[in-house]
Amino acid sequence: MINHWILIGLLAISTYMSRVMGVEIMAGREMSLTLRLYFNYVPVAIISALIVKQILVPSDGQLTFSFPVLIGCLSTAIVIKKTKMFLPSVVVGVIIGLFVRYFV
Amino acid sequence: MDNKRKETIKSGFIEALPLAIAIGATGLSYGVLAVQAHLSLITIVAMSILVFSGSVQMVTIAMIMANAGLASILITTVLLNMRNLLYGAALAEGLAPANSWRWILSIGVSDEPFVLGSARFKKYGPDPLYFGVVVATFYVAWVLGSFIGALLGNQVDPQRWGLDLAFPVTFVALLIPSLKGKPVIATALIAVLIATGLEYFLPGNEFTIIVTGILAPLVGVYLTGRLSK
Repeated sequence: MINHWILIGLLAISTYMSRVMGVEIMAGREMSLTLRLYFNYVPVAIISALIVKQILVPSDGQLTFSFPVLIGCLSTAIVIKKTKMFLPSVVVGVIIGLFVRYFV
Repeated sequence: MDNKRKETIKSGFIEALPLAIAIGATGLSYGVLAVQAHLSLITIVAMSILVFSGSVQMVTIAMIMANAGLASILITTVLLNMRNLLYGAALAEGLAPANSWRWILSIGVSDEPFVLGSARFKKYGPDPLYFGVVVATFYVAWVLGSFIGALLGNQVDPQRWGLDLAFPVTFVALLIPSLKGKPVIATALIAVLIATGLEYFLPGNEFTIIVTGILAPLVGVYLTGRLSK
């Protein structure tokens, strides 16, 4: 059986190292224009991937489509596009997603 | 405290709040699962305080329950953490003014603070204070959620209350306003294609986010170059 305290210590060190390394390597460096442009597009790419990973849910090695998440995301997209208001868009998305989960 | 700092703290807290509720709920699930994996209350909370990572802690608990060894848990979590290198590199410029405080702020380099932080830096330039407020809000929510989950055992189901929906929906609310111009829209579309392809062929794999994060921005860079010619 694993000693939980040793495990926690090792996980804490490896996780913190992964977090601080990227920041410390790049901080204060003069980035080339292309690299700056590249990092400018990284958030959009990663947020899109995170959304896809929430919509496509693996179960037993198969990929299933989460309609509540998809409809919730589409609702939020429409509301934020129309109103440009952050919190109401999130609340509407969650409520519509819940509605789809329980009533559709 | 001047008004600008107050405003930053306020907007950091308000923008972090929906995700913090969802993070608290995930912490609750982690606490409940960790009890089932026979971890004590103090180790459950200590892991949240010291590791502060939903994905790493959830995978660790699942692997402990499956009787995995220390080495395999560590290797898996190192793979899981690889995307933090990319997050850190992308956030570095926005955190640069914090100087030595960067070592503390780096605790928050992970999915949700990255999403909020990068959106903020893009709009207002470097802002370590905002990032710090967001991370502190998430940290409190995560530790508190884990503690309550460990106390409750298995009496609560966060999914029933739709708290899991807050993650994707918040990401959409942050993504849509930034989709301006062909290179950005193309990057997002290619990212969706790559991520969907990777998930289709390898459902639930750990590389989708990092591979998409590395490849899709190349399209944005390429298109920007072409359009400026």
